[in-house]
Amino acid sequence: MLTVVKNIKNQLKVSFLTVKYALIREMINKTTFLTNITFMILNDASFILQWIVLYALKDNVGGYTFNQVLLLWGIAAGTYGFSHFFFESAFNLSDTINNGKLDAFLVQPKNVLISTITMSISASAIGDLAYAYIMLFVFGFTIKNFLLFTLFCFTGSLIIVSIAIILGSLSFWFNKSDVIADTGNSLLTNFATYPDGIFKGITKILFYTILPLGYVAYMPVQILSSFNIKLFILVISITIMFITLAVITFYRGLRRYSSSNLMIART
Amino acid sequence: MRKYLYIFKSEVMTNMQYIFNLLVGFISYFILIFIFLNLWKYIYSDSNELINGYNMNQMIWYVIITEILWMSLGGRKLCRKICEDVRGGNIAYNINKPYSYIGYILSSHLGSVVVKGSIFTILGMLLGLIFLGKFPHLTLFSIIIVLITSLLATIINTLFVIFIGLFSFIIEDANPFWWLYSKVILVFGTLFPIEYFPGIIKTILSYSPIYAVSYGPAKLFVDFSIPNMVNVIIVQIIYLIIIYVLCLLIYRKGVRKLNVNGG
Repeated sequence: MLTVVKNIKNQLKVSFLTVKYALIREMINKTTFLTNITFMILNDASFILQWIVLYALKDNVGGYTFNQVLLLWGIAAGTYGFSHFFFESAFNLSDTINNGKLDAFLVQPKNVLISTITMSISASAIGDLAYAYIMLFVFGFTIKNFLLFTLFCFTGSLIIVSIAIILGSLSFWFNKSDVIADTGNSLLTNFATYPDGIFKGITKILFYTILPLGYVAYMPVQILSSFNIKLFILVISITIMFITLAVITFYRGLRRYSSSNLMIART
Repeated sequence: MRKYLYIFKSEVMTNMQYIFNLLVGFISYFILIFIFLNLWKYIYSDSNELINGYNMNQMIWYVIITEILWMSLGGRKLCRKICEDVRGGNIAYNINKPYSYIGYILSSHLGSVVVKGSIFTILGMLLGLIFLGKFPHLTLFSIIIVLITSLLATIINTLFVIFIGLFSFIIEDANPFWWLYSKVILVFGTLFPIEYFPGIIKTILSYSPIYAVSYGPAKLFVDFSIPNMVNVIIVQIIYLIIIYVLCLLIYRKGVRKLNVNGG
């Protein structure tokens, strides 16, 4: 037991250092770094205009008030921010597998999956995170809301990273599956910013099954608006289920991996 | 002019080899139209109700057209390519060639937009017909005018992206400016017609590039009229001249201070 705890501690330390050095690398050019973050905040904020126009036509869109839509955007931005800041490489997993770049991680004495998905960060994701918390302030800042919001942004990011790993791992079995992975990832981002109430029938069912946006964004908005312990437990359970599925899929696929003898310098 | 036509044709031929990739790109387009179909069905309690002069079908056709124009542009890729050409020094290889860099980039990019745009137009029209059951009122003349104004809109939009990309001569990475430009076009130009915006914003938008690159062709498609057609074409010609001159100025200024470390 003690060894397991020690291993987890070690792995977390290595992952933290990887992210830290990736961030330092991004900060070498300070102007570009700050411009990327600022413009990402402006980029996200531009969509508020869309909702101002729509709410001028109707008080309620898909069962959401204007503030709830802002919260939905906050959670979507936070989810995107956390996932792309900590696990950017999960979204390029197909490329890593197809081009034999996994070799470098297989020989390291650390967890292959975690090392693979934490090898790079996206600096502009910091802008998404900043925007997410601005939206939380607009919705209503309390310590409880802050903790729940942060937790849901993190569970949401773990769900979408898990899906990215599952879709990316298809490359162990099929060629050209990067197209499926890219499409799946963009599907999640596109739908997550619109209230689920505007959709009907099969689309709504998809949100709680193969496109689990219900647990990433919609249920967290419901819980933050009015706390519900059952929904809270459901979100946590679904997150654990997706992580488990992703780990199983990746390691099943890894058995089929064969090196391409790629020689590259990783700096 | 013949050399640019040749570059354009070569790019068309190259892009014809990657039709599958373009079809995959259509999935994102489909998702977006699907979302907007649901959104507008929710907003319009009755499909014949008029909101700011548009009924539900017109609103959805409007988004179908503006998104065809926008998504077939591939502006992010073009902006990134120009930024890399400038930052990496590749642009130096083009300076001593017997063509203008702007002309080369414009004609080669139009080659890829034409292929993508044609496929998106066919599939977009099919999608609209499946979702809505009918086209807005169209005549052969109005279709020809919509095609001409769409082509002009694409040329102007491409020149705007080139202008933003050439900003890399001044700041190292012009990509953030591209994000901002794309969001302005997306929010003000593709999601809603300018009639949806209040007073002063509506007036500003009527004189902005959005009128030329997005609103104009889509408005002519959903609600064609001769005065509108004349307005759109005049605004497009004015913007075409302005943005081309701006591109030339920034390019000439940038090339003068270009420093390339050969190797």
